[in-house]
Amino acid sequence: MAEETQMRESVKPFRKRKSGHKKGSNFKKKQKQFLGNKEKVKKIDPRLKKLLRKKARDYNSDDDNEDETAHASEDDNADSMDDDVSSDDGKEKKNLGIEIEGSENEDNDEIPPGITKFSEGCRAFRIAFKSISKKAISDDSLGPVLSGHKTLVAEKLAEEVAERRVKGEAKKEKHLVGEKGHVKPANYLDAHEKFLISVATKGVVKLFNAVNKAQNAQKGLNPSRSKDAKVIKKRRKERFFSELSKTPVVDTSTKVHASSGEGPSWAPLRDNYMLTNSKLKDWDKMPDKVVHDDIGRMSEDSSSDDD
Amino acid sequence: MARIPNKKRKMFVKPIVKKKQANVDHITGDKIPKSFVFARGKLPGSLRQLQMDLRKLMLPYTALKLKEKKRNSLKDFLNVAGPMGVSHFLILSKTETAPYLRVARTPQGPTLTFKIHEYSLAADVAQSQLRPRCPQDLFKNAPLIVLSGFGSGEQHLKLTTVMFQNIFPAIDINTVKLSSCQRIVLLNYNKDTKLIDFRHYSIKLQPVGVSRRLRKFVQNRQVPDLRNLQDVSDFVTKAGYGSESEGDDEAATVTLANDLGRVNKASTKSAVKLQEIGPRMVLQLVKIEEGLCSGDVIFSEYGTASEQRQETNQNNEEDAGDDEDSD
Repeated sequence: MAEETQMRESVKPFRKRKSGHKKGSNFKKKQKQFLGNKEKVKKIDPRLKKLLRKKARDYNSDDDNEDETAHASEDDNADSMDDDVSSDDGKEKKNLGIEIEGSENEDNDEIPPGITKFSEGCRAFRIAFKSISKKAISDDSLGPVLSGHKTLVAEKLAEEVAERRVKGEAKKEKHLVGEKGHVKPANYLDAHEKFLISVATKGVVKLFNAVNKAQNAQKGLNPSRSKDAKVIKKRRKERFFSELSKTPVVDTSTKVHASSGEGPSWAPLRDNYMLTNSKLKDWDKMPDKVVHDDIGRMSEDSSSDDD
Repeated sequence: MARIPNKKRKMFVKPIVKKKQANVDHITGDKIPKSFVFARGKLPGSLRQLQMDLRKLMLPYTALKLKEKKRNSLKDFLNVAGPMGVSHFLILSKTETAPYLRVARTPQGPTLTFKIHEYSLAADVAQSQLRPRCPQDLFKNAPLIVLSGFGSGEQHLKLTTVMFQNIFPAIDINTVKLSSCQRIVLLNYNKDTKLIDFRHYSIKLQPVGVSRRLRKFVQNRQVPDLRNLQDVSDFVTKAGYGSESEGDDEAATVTLANDLGRVNKASTKSAVKLQEIGPRMVLQLVKIEEGLCSGDVIFSEYGTASEQRQETNQNNEEDAGDDEDSD
């Protein structure tokens, strides 16, 4: 007992000092004021009071832990010490009380009259605390939650999970929409692919053969050399003109056949006279030719008629 | 006396030559078509990859690293296209129903709109192959283009063929080097389904009539394993494995005009082998517009222009979104 009280006493000033320290220079002022008149103190700002109370709670919560461990060890040792512990707890409570009511009677060294009440109340507190600490904590996914709103917390977590799932689904859907039409090709070549490749191959072969045919003719000539380029150009020109000289005969014959059925046989009477002809350059020489042609044909026709 | 005309000539000639080098083939003198591939609206990741693949396909006459911003309108691209000599636009867009590809000639149109039914990326195609092939200079030359099945005489198909023929530089048979023909783009029109298969292959030439072992020996430049052989001549004379798939592709053999690499010599027979590079697309021609993403509708898959207008008035769902994209 004696040791304990000593301990308490040794602890007490430290605590006080600390609490005083926290309050800072204001505290001393208060003291002075307090000595002067008690009524002023009661008019303390409610906000400040609240803050002080909060501070005190924070401060003591740390100490609570220490005391708890001490309390546990003591509990293990002996039950007979219970009273003592209770007083210890009482002290704790008292401390708290002092903190809260600090503004009223801080400097009083004598034990305040409310202390006995506290010790009684503390017993109840102790019992309550003991019952709590003895409780087996269920290993929930939530962990140790002391609050009575366990269901509320669970609901909130479930809601979060559901929300996340909805979000994930939306994301997946968006991804699917984005991937629309995207197809991974098969590892093997199916019939359709083979057909396409054969078509493409045919095209390539055709081109290569054409190139071979064209370039074999001009073998030994380098198109990037100007001398050879001239020769190539000349050859190409010749070929072009030879092609031209071939085709017009066919063209005119087809044209004549097409037009002869529709319009009058004499060229200038036709609707498309001079319009379809590409050689508009020599328009002044043309009519004679056409006339000649017509005459020639006429004579042929007549001859055939005669026959 | 002599100086003055010289100077004059230089003054006149130089700028013209420069311009020609920029836009015109130096041998044939044809105008080289150039293209932009870009997107309207926001694209999902796979389609952005497809855009990149298409740019690679359009190489070398395209802007590979074309950056586009959200606020870039079609007009911005058009303004840049003029001085750069860009003649074609390939525009990717996406609606809720499907992705779309629009192919347009730049200043005036027309615009072909294709619905992309299915597509696979180049990466997917490479993944599906055992040995994907990508030689270094694969993308240094423009691809050949093969259009098949378009010759049914319908007007819109004719326009499509013309459009795609002009999207790549024309080949002059007299001057083309076979080594520049590395890739081929195939567009195959299916009459029954009205779908166009879009494929992209690389061209590989192999000498015919040589055993596989010899071919590999020449190609790889590695010392062959002769441990099991009695004599060096065995390496040449010993028959390889029986399954050499040379018998079935008689049609795919070519005699070359000039040498092509180390292995394929001129006037020897070579087999043409194609390997897919990707991307792969299944397209459907949906509509043709006269202007650049605007103007009269020349052809529409879903009825005539006037009918479609009524339809769009009734339920402007897809097309409204599409039009917004284009503006």
